Amino acid sequence: MDRYRRRRLRNSVVIALSIGATAIGLGWLVLILGTLVYEGLSGLSPAVFTEMTPPPGAAGGLLNPIIGSLMLTILAVAIGTPVGILAGTYMAEYGKYAKLTTVVRFINDILLSAPSIVVGLFVYEILVAPMGHFSGWAGAVALALIVIPVVVRTTEDMLSLLPKELRESATALGMPRAQVIRHVAYRAARAGMITGVLLAIARISGETAPLLFTALNNQFFSSNLNAPISSLPVVIFQFALSPYADWQKLAWIGALIITFAVLALSITARALSASGKSS
Amino acid sequence: MSGSRRHKLVDMALSGSVESSSAAISRTKTLGRLRSGDALFHHLTRAAAILVLIILSGVIVALIKGSLPALQAFGFNFLIEERWNPVTEKFGAVAPIYGTLVTSLIAMLIAVPLGLLIALFLTELCPMWLRRPIGIAIELLAGIPSIIYGIWGLFVFAPFLQRNLQPALIDWFENVPVLSSLFEGPPYGIGILTASLILAIMVLPFITSISRDVFEAVPPVLKEAAYGVGCTTWEVVRYVVLPFARVGVIGGIMLGLGRALGETMAVTFVIGNAHKVSASILAPGTTISATIANEFTEAVGDLYTSSLIALGLILFVITFIVLAAARYLLMRLEKRVG
Amino acid sequence: MNSMAGISNATQPPVPTVVGRASEAAGKTAEKILIRNLNFYYGDNKALKSINVPLYDRKVTAFIGPSGCGKSTLLRILNRIYGLYPHQRAEGEVLLDGKNILDPGQDLNLLRARVGMVFQKPTPFPMSIYENIAFGVRLFENLPRADIDERVQSALRRAAIWDEVKDKLRANGLSLSGGQQQRLCIARTVALKPEVILLDEPCSALDPISTAKIEELIDELKDDYTIAIVTHNMQQAARVSDHTAFMYLGELVEFDTTSKMFTTPSDRRTQDYITGRFG
Repeated sequence: MDRYRRRRLRNSVVIALSIGATAIGLGWLVLILGTLVYEGLSGLSPAVFTEMTPPPGAAGGLLNPIIGSLMLTILAVAIGTPVGILAGTYMAEYGKYAKLTTVVRFINDILLSAPSIVVGLFVYEILVAPMGHFSGWAGAVALALIVIPVVVRTTEDMLSLLPKELRESATALGMPRAQVIRHVAYRAARAGMITGVLLAIARISGETAPLLFTALNNQFFSSNLNAPISSLPVVIFQFALSPYADWQKLAWIGALIITFAVLALSITARALSASGKSS
Repeated sequence: MSGSRRHKLVDMALSGSVESSSAAISRTKTLGRLRSGDALFHHLTRAAAILVLIILSGVIVALIKGSLPALQAFGFNFLIEERWNPVTEKFGAVAPIYGTLVTSLIAMLIAVPLGLLIALFLTELCPMWLRRPIGIAIELLAGIPSIIYGIWGLFVFAPFLQRNLQPALIDWFENVPVLSSLFEGPPYGIGILTASLILAIMVLPFITSISRDVFEAVPPVLKEAAYGVGCTTWEVVRYVVLPFARVGVIGGIMLGLGRALGETMAVTFVIGNAHKVSASILAPGTTISATIANEFTEAVGDLYTSSLIALGLILFVITFIVLAAARYLLMRLEKRVG
Repeated sequence: MNSMAGISNATQPPVPTVVGRASEAAGKTAEKILIRNLNFYYGDNKALKSINVPLYDRKVTAFIGPSGCGKSTLLRILNRIYGLYPHQRAEGEVLLDGKNILDPGQDLNLLRARVGMVFQKPTPFPMSIYENIAFGVRLFENLPRADIDERVQSALRRAAIWDEVKDKLRANGLSLSGGQQQRLCIARTVALKPEVILLDEPCSALDPISTAKIEELIDELKDDYTIAIVTHNMQQAARVSDHTAFMYLGELVEFDTTSKMFTTPSDRRTQDYITGRFG
């Protein structure tokens, strides 16, 4: 085969492979989402949102894990977002040229991808062990530790994208630094920063490992943060690994709820950042 | 304070400006209030940044402190001992470490070529109108929480493998020397191979999107120059895109590896939880994170708990090294591109 | 190489000088700002060399010269906005009404309220048109709503944009055209009742019609404010300014009244630049 034909053949092979790879990649998505919708939707009913988790063999719902997850998420965001925004602000503004910023950026990126089960162990050591019991607080702190690196990163990125003339013109009016940041920079980067928070929420919605030995689980409905509290991911974990069919069904339903929430958050975040860019 | 106050008075005297002095004083007052707020905000933000450092140090310190009993009891043997017996309180990390490394390795072997090929497709071959939908689909895949992959793997994928792929693999390799031991054993459905495959599916969107971003950053002029000389698509990718994107792709791969090593939920459901090292990848095994997830809440006794934390420390060290290397590489890339 | 050949010694005041509007009545052309032996460094790189030049009260002084000659650098020293960035430092004296603003004790926010700046790129804040102006005013003064309304209106009138925006004060500042945004920035600066206005290539991002409007504006503004304008457009300098400074490679080559500079320049380099021989 002459040289040119060989080159063309190689090219065609690679093209075929890449199309195949894309089909495989998309195929997984369809398969997974399809199964999820099929298994989860068939069991979805109002009871899921109004009844507590049942003992095996009885009918029930997912009320306590849903409420528990909501509480933990809100708390984690309340703790983690301010810390993340403040740290990101330092890195993009006051400390833009500081050595500290380089180090923090490096460390933050490592924390961003660190195994979340290690975060759970850490919070166990510093909160659960000294307190002597599992608690919703510990779970919220563990989730907050996952929120912080995400928010730090997006805040720093969004603030750094702002043109320097914007800050300069505010400073040229005689505005002190904090005012420039709070009233001009934050306002201009607002869409991007909110996107960061939404992404962080999406991330922690599905996190199971950090909750396994911090918030643990609670069979009954409880809103006491000082005690073990139920959460959707942990319940799914427990029910899916059990041998009971109705528990497994509830696990699928819970999985569907989480996936839906995560997708909704991601789409909202994407829409926000797109509208931010156009304005 | 008095110095700058003097300056202000001199300022006003010399300027002879039309502005009344009372307006100037109220100006100064408002500014003074804003400025002390400025210093406070500055310190607040710096404290938050330092907090990030404290968190990381805290994690390391807490892990070391928690592992001490186990490390003191077993010493270096912890790393080479395979037995994991809660009853006799003899713990060894070999099986979890082996499982973590092998599942991640196989997952990367599958996900990296696939991811690069998909990135190639998206940047060079895909028609314009299809690009955004597929790109969004990839990001959706990346956003699905890992526990979903876990239960899907347990209820759908594992049975499928058990019925179809695994018997086939066992048959094919039965008489092949060396390789037959890789694919030996009853088809459990769950096991190291299944966990690796699930992990591959999980890591794939991540590698794809990083590779795609890096490929897209290649200046179009370079590619046009290559096309202009008559290169085929593959040749443009091989001789222009890949070399340009090399550092970024490697960084992305290492980030994906870091994720794979630390992944818990996708793996725990399907790995089989056996503290054994087997030659066959069809056999059940365990990973560090799966071990911790499955056993921590039932661990009785300080030595048991401490051994699990020691496993966590080992995992953290491994991922830290991989992630630090990846970040270092990506930092060098940013410096080069500028 | 300090050539102030265009100024006779009679108008060169002794040091230190206390000037004010009073001395204008005495028949002298008063110096609002006097720059003496100014050197400026970016790191180790000396960007400005021994600059000596006056800015006369309520006159327009233009700074011209080829790219990189240091004219923008010089302007940015006059309100000390270079201080936002590390590794940039100035040595020498810049006397505003006789007082050196490079003094470490100088209050920067107050300085910038007296010396306003308009940048090359129009940078309206991400707020309503009304807020863009009111924000700066509120920074320094605690005024009742009616007074702020009046300040906003007078600033917008001064910037010759009132008629175009009076019906849409609540609209976002970013919704205006480029020329309007730049006039909004001028209004924002003027609202603080500064004494000096610095214009850093204010028209280079604008179309010819907007440019003409802004040049008209400069002509009106100089009745009340001392104006310094950096421009790479020589014809613009000739149109709007009373005095012109020609800079080259960080040095002040020549300073003179505009009419003299453009008809019979003293220095060979000035002549070459003006006739288009280089730059």
